Amino acid sequence: MVWRIGVDSGGTFTDVCLFNDSTGESRIWKLSSTPEDPSVGIADGVAQALAQAQADPTAVGFLGHGTTVATNALIQLRGVPTGLITTDGFRDLLEIGRQKRPHLYDTQAVKPAVLVPRALRKGVVERLRSDGSVELALDEEGLRQAARELAKAGIESLAVCFLYSYRNAEHEQRALAILREALPDTFICVSSDIAPEFREFERLSTVVVNAYLGPVMQRYIKRLYKRIKDLGVPIEPKLTQSNGGIISFDMAASMPVRTILSGPTTGVVAAQAIAGMAGYPNVITFDVGGTSSDVALLTDGHCAQANQADAGGYPIKAPMLDIHAVGAGGGSIAYIDNGGLLKVGPRSAGADPGPACYGKGNEEPTVTDANVVLGTLSAGTLLGGRLTVRKDLAEAAVQRLADRLGLGLMEAAQGIIAVATANMAKAIRVISVQRGHDPRGYALFAFGGAGPLHAARLAQELDMPRIIVPRAPGILCAMGLLLTDLRTDFMQTRILALTAAAAGVVRATFDTLQEDATRWFDEEQVPASARETALSVDMRYAGQNYELSVPVPAGGDDEALLARMVQGFEQAHQRQYGFLVPDGQVQVVTCRLAAIGKTPKIQLPALAAAQTTSDAAIVGQREVWFRETSSWAACPIYTRDALRPGHAFTGPAIVEQMDATTLVLPGMTARVDPHANLILEFQ
Amino acid sequence: MTTQPSTQQARPVAGAVPDPITVEILGNAFSSIADEMGEALVRASYSTNIKERRDCSTALFDTRGQVLCQAEHIPMHLGSFLGMIPHIMARYPVETLREGDVFIGNDAYEGGGTHLPDIVLAEPVFFDGSLVAWAMNTAHHADFVDRGHAHIYQEGLRIPPVRLYRAGELQNEVRELILLNCQVPQERLSDLRAQCAANQLGVQRIQSLCARYGAQTVIAAGDALQDYAERKMRAGISRIPDGTYRYTDRFDPYGLDLDMEVSVEIVVEGDAMRLHFDSPPQVRAGINLVYTGLLASVYFAVKSLVDPDVLPNSGLARPLTVTAPAGTVLNCRHPAAVNSRINICQRVVDIIYGALAQAIPERVTAAGNGSCVAALFSGTREDGEFWAYLETIGGGMGARHGLDGLDGVHVHLTNTSNLPAESLEQEYPLTLLRYELVDNSGGAGRQRGGMGLRRVYRVEQDCRLTISGSRHKYAPWGLAGGLPGGKGEVRFGNGAVGFKGNAGVLKAGDVVEVITPGAGGYGDPRERSVELVKEDLRAGNIDADIARAAYGLDVRAASV
Repeated sequence: MVWRIGVDSGGTFTDVCLFNDSTGESRIWKLSSTPEDPSVGIADGVAQALAQAQADPTAVGFLGHGTTVATNALIQLRGVPTGLITTDGFRDLLEIGRQKRPHLYDTQAVKPAVLVPRALRKGVVERLRSDGSVELALDEEGLRQAARELAKAGIESLAVCFLYSYRNAEHEQRALAILREALPDTFICVSSDIAPEFREFERLSTVVVNAYLGPVMQRYIKRLYKRIKDLGVPIEPKLTQSNGGIISFDMAASMPVRTILSGPTTGVVAAQAIAGMAGYPNVITFDVGGTSSDVALLTDGHCAQANQADAGGYPIKAPMLDIHAVGAGGGSIAYIDNGGLLKVGPRSAGADPGPACYGKGNEEPTVTDANVVLGTLSAGTLLGGRLTVRKDLAEAAVQRLADRLGLGLMEAAQGIIAVATANMAKAIRVISVQRGHDPRGYALFAFGGAGPLHAARLAQELDMPRIIVPRAPGILCAMGLLLTDLRTDFMQTRILALTAAAAGVVRATFDTLQEDATRWFDEEQVPASARETALSVDMRYAGQNYELSVPVPAGGDDEALLARMVQGFEQAHQRQYGFLVPDGQVQVVTCRLAAIGKTPKIQLPALAAAQTTSDAAIVGQREVWFRETSSWAACPIYTRDALRPGHAFTGPAIVEQMDATTLVLPGMTARVDPHANLILEFQ
Repeated sequence: MTTQPSTQQARPVAGAVPDPITVEILGNAFSSIADEMGEALVRASYSTNIKERRDCSTALFDTRGQVLCQAEHIPMHLGSFLGMIPHIMARYPVETLREGDVFIGNDAYEGGGTHLPDIVLAEPVFFDGSLVAWAMNTAHHADFVDRGHAHIYQEGLRIPPVRLYRAGELQNEVRELILLNCQVPQERLSDLRAQCAANQLGVQRIQSLCARYGAQTVIAAGDALQDYAERKMRAGISRIPDGTYRYTDRFDPYGLDLDMEVSVEIVVEGDAMRLHFDSPPQVRAGINLVYTGLLASVYFAVKSLVDPDVLPNSGLARPLTVTAPAGTVLNCRHPAAVNSRINICQRVVDIIYGALAQAIPERVTAAGNGSCVAALFSGTREDGEFWAYLETIGGGMGARHGLDGLDGVHVHLTNTSNLPAESLEQEYPLTLLRYELVDNSGGAGRQRGGMGLRRVYRVEQDCRLTISGSRHKYAPWGLAGGLPGGKGEVRFGNGAVGFKGNAGVLKAGDVVEVITPGAGGYGDPRERSVELVKEDLRAGNIDADIARAAYGLDVRAASV
């Protein structure tokens, strides 16, 4: 049991990261994804990587896997025919939502498709009051009738959502039992199991998405499991969730909704581990791909959590890392709109046809083209030379734009970068300034293909003092799978005033959640020493509508718990909104418990210090245009592979490696730390 | 009759016109600031109308009182913003303004508002001792309930622009005066606090922009962005065929003994547009509209048809000339009552679409629910505390040239959220029994009109209810052969003898059912794809009679 494997299956490539626990050796394998059935590419990738490492499949002790199967099925509306049962009178809520139209001004806008058509939505008589007491008993015969009609209509999956089920789950659980008996072959889920939280539409939307994707995920997992077994790998693979943790196949199959926003999370998990090792617990991660940038904020080594997000227009209540995306990446297209201003993105040239400089048919300039014109990206050497990049094509595309703007070629190229940087900065302001955090106290952790290239300009725009570029910025997601823990979240909404009596109720609620967690730990066979829990309480002033999440300790007496809740809430409110309400009644809304099964992580060994001067890593020189001087400057090109711990140099400089290029601005310093991270600092 | 900035005052001279890149970057910055202010306001506020239903808006203004940027919340609120700065400037010379001043106002005639519940807070932004901009927001305070509407003095407290804070110091007397006139003062106080915090945020953000780019550049970019919006607007208007387009509709406010004709004449000439509105003399009911409210309605309608992406700043108004005779319902004079002006604003948008359907049929929609149906409940809790709860209910959106209308949404000038039943029932003595789409309310057409909504409440304590709305008598019209949509209706389960006109008393246990209008269809229903007709029939959106009579479906043969 020496090999640990992380597989990140993306739309274009599948990355496999192998790590040998006994030698500390790591290997990377990249191959094209198989979107029709991603399990094929994954199994092939694992087989090839193991063969290349001459490793025995039976020596694999861990296989973690990030998947976009559920995400893609939702975006492409390839879920299964799904039925819905609600409290009588509320079956249309799924369609009405919050009764807002999708675009304020556009008369031609459309709403996201409704996942359950009206004919497959049935109301059943039952009603709870807001305190959870029963006003109308569940009409069991009506329920059975609805089940028969839905079965006749050909549903493969069924969601149930009753009002106030977060307060009292009895009706939903009774309905679940009846429906399982009536429809033994149908995937059935109820809202009190999937998202037992306040606000019926968001809970409804979540359970419907879960039902819609359930059978898709089950089939996928079954296929993948068989393929992995066929390879001779003896362990059960794990899947990533939107909360950054991994989970068993069984759990993922019953709660696919918790994986929908998992795509960018493993990169953040890797960033968390690597930045922590480098000694920077406060970082903002900056992951730039072809069409978008993902950013997240980590304070004291912890990524902020969100409990609700929008996935393709569908609100999802699920624990997740608070990752914010903006449509600005290397392939983002620059254009002049009909009012004469320069815009960049969100339209992207993607990987195919790609930027103009690829010569594959796109003639509109992209961010990558601007970088080629400025000399920050070299012609010909993208992806270690696997891609031909033509500077003349990039120049022609940017020149056409420059002519229309009445600017010179270089000003236009610099302008494209400036607008793209402003868009990226806007995303970072959303997760920092708007949440009460000052980005100047954070390091920028840049990865993804184009993150290191734009990091310096972005840090400059936000007055951030420091940038960290990990050793392998292009495969961080696969690596993150080897650095994460088993994790699942339990929550229970209990709305009550934060008085002395409340502490007891909160504690009792946590006791119940702890029982759920213990059951889960047992199922997952997590050893006692590896079990950890983290508790938090969502609170607000009575009358407010948005809650702030406050971490609370597990031990201590009621008085200490109460004091901690009050103090934590006030700190959070002050930070987020800038004021307190002196006589305001604080209210508890939802108790949350994160159950974490610590897994052994790969240890990234410190490397030997350099025996050479950093000049030994210089492989050439290139003219690069800098805005500061409006002129070309000769920049040394360093090759990342030759940079060793202890090396240091001053910008302007360019650092190139197979999957990324790092720009060091004039006057910045760069040094290599013991784990081969590149640390850039403004002076 | 158009409003022009009445005051010119000292401000840092705008620098040379910045390049298009800087303008784009600062334009982005303005919109993020307005958005961030909006988020802060919604999240920190207390009353359900603001925190859940988001009936509030934020904006940045330049020193001349021109809109730099309005966040995408409620287009109607632009009307409140437009008048505020000119009114402040008329009263308070610029040299008397101080950093930390906060102006509060709501009056439709003196305070820049369009009806009294929308309370505007405006804070000047200083940089290096000079005024560079204004941060503003407005929030609809669900207060001033159970009032008369013969004239504005009955409708609530009229607040001209006065300082709530003077150089950062709370003017307690002013606050006390306002709160004493409110029925739910604790909620007002908390919401005003959130409004202040939102403006503060705007002030800080603009100051840091000035520190980074220089105040001159920021101001010059603001000017350039308005020129930019004007250019985009003119480019869009140029694409509309020149000509004179007219439309007349009837307006039927719910529960009032009023029924009137409203009409528009639109002259499109090159890259400019003139709109003239005729309506009867103003009435003694809260349905009149002040000129700034008419402007907000026109700006919304034209922007939505011409170019939905034009930046929401003052530049978009420049190609438009808007007139209506003073003293009429659509351009009322003091002291006309204005509380429910939103319904006629929605009709203004309908008739603009109706007129331009002749010129740009592919952009307009058939008539939508043409109203903003509102139910305002109020009463006294067991502990003696007064409560008030306002909700506005969406309806059908008119069918489009190539698309069905949306079902159950807010249209035109409003876009507020509903309140979850699970929140509603915890906060108020009300139970929501049903909330659903209204079958058969989407007007038949090649494209079907959107369906209206049904919301059925049971009141758990004696309380008062006021309902406003429209299209209870005149159905939302279709276009190009499309049929009208369903009308609005209010039904009382237990008879509700206490209800007269549009207001009255409900007893504990009474049930009231509010049905909002659907929307008109677009194109001949017989051209609708048979598959879609069958789907509508299966879903219960239409019944067999309509499938047969309007769409010509052989229902039995179709075997749905």
